[in-house]
Amino acid sequence: MELKIRKQGEVYIIDVSGEMDLYNSFKLKELVMKMLEKKVDQFVINMENVDYIDSSGIGALIFICSTIKKMNLKLLITNVHGSVKKVIELTKLMGYFPMAATVEEALQKIGG
Amino acid sequence: MPETKQILVDENHPLFDKAGMFYKEFPSDFRQIRYFTLLVVQKAPPEIKEINLLEQQISEIIKNAVKHGNHNDPSKKVKVWYSFSTTHAHLIVQDEGEGFKDIEKWNEFNKLRMEYFHSKNLDMLGKFVSYRTERSDDHDGGNAMFAALEYWSEGVVFNQARNAIAVKKVFPQKRLGVTLVNP
Repeated sequence: MELKIRKQGEVYIIDVSGEMDLYNSFKLKELVMKMLEKKVDQFVINMENVDYIDSSGIGALIFICSTIKKMNLKLLITNVHGSVKKVIELTKLMGYFPMAATVEEALQKIGG
Repeated sequence: MPETKQILVDENHPLFDKAGMFYKEFPSDFRQIRYFTLLVVQKAPPEIKEINLLEQQISEIIKNAVKHGNHNDPSKKVKVWYSFSTTHAHLIVQDEGEGFKDIEKWNEFNKLRMEYFHSKNLDMLGKFVSYRTERSDDHDGGNAMFAALEYWSEGVVFNQARNAIAVKKVFPQKRLGVTLVNP
């Protein structure tokens, strides 16, 4: 799994690529926690290039989502597709995760 | 509200019939869980759609056996029986651990989770997104069995000792036919 950060206005976009599994999902949690320490308050997690996720990956997204919700900050998860979408559906979390179809849509929602 | 699926405990359940299944055993090496999974999944026919999802679901069950059953002790084995076709995937995984003692508590937790899901109570659902015990660590998502119950259409069953799990999925077949539409 590879994580890249880019900034658009005040929003930090984390582009995730590769597989989010039991061996690496903690890295995304650690990255978000470091960004929170640096007072980042608007996040987009872009899953466009993620084709595999397991329960550890879902757990990492739950942790990030609940932490950001508790802090009343902004987060959207974008471009969820294929088996990643299916795992989220099987886990009944489609309504729990704040989602947007694309990064552009997420930026509009956060900006609005 | 549809009836909530449950994890069953039934030593004599038909899903524990190993006749005609392939067999492999692995040491409980956490680093190799996905590799072991691939060794099993390579027997699945390529016609199966969403093979990624099948691999992920099998990996979760092997991970549970390695980590929660055998506590990553490489001297303890994980035994896997499996069979695949274009219409089904059937898996039995047994570890050498003390068994999943919390099945009743887990079923109760899942029942509440599904009630909040169906009533669209997102605040309460947020408290039921992860099943954790005192042994759970930061790497445990606590959600694998929620998806397993949905994915394995023919059931999720443990033996009496609760250290073996049997699961099966039947893949929906494409209907071949002609639909007549009135002009």
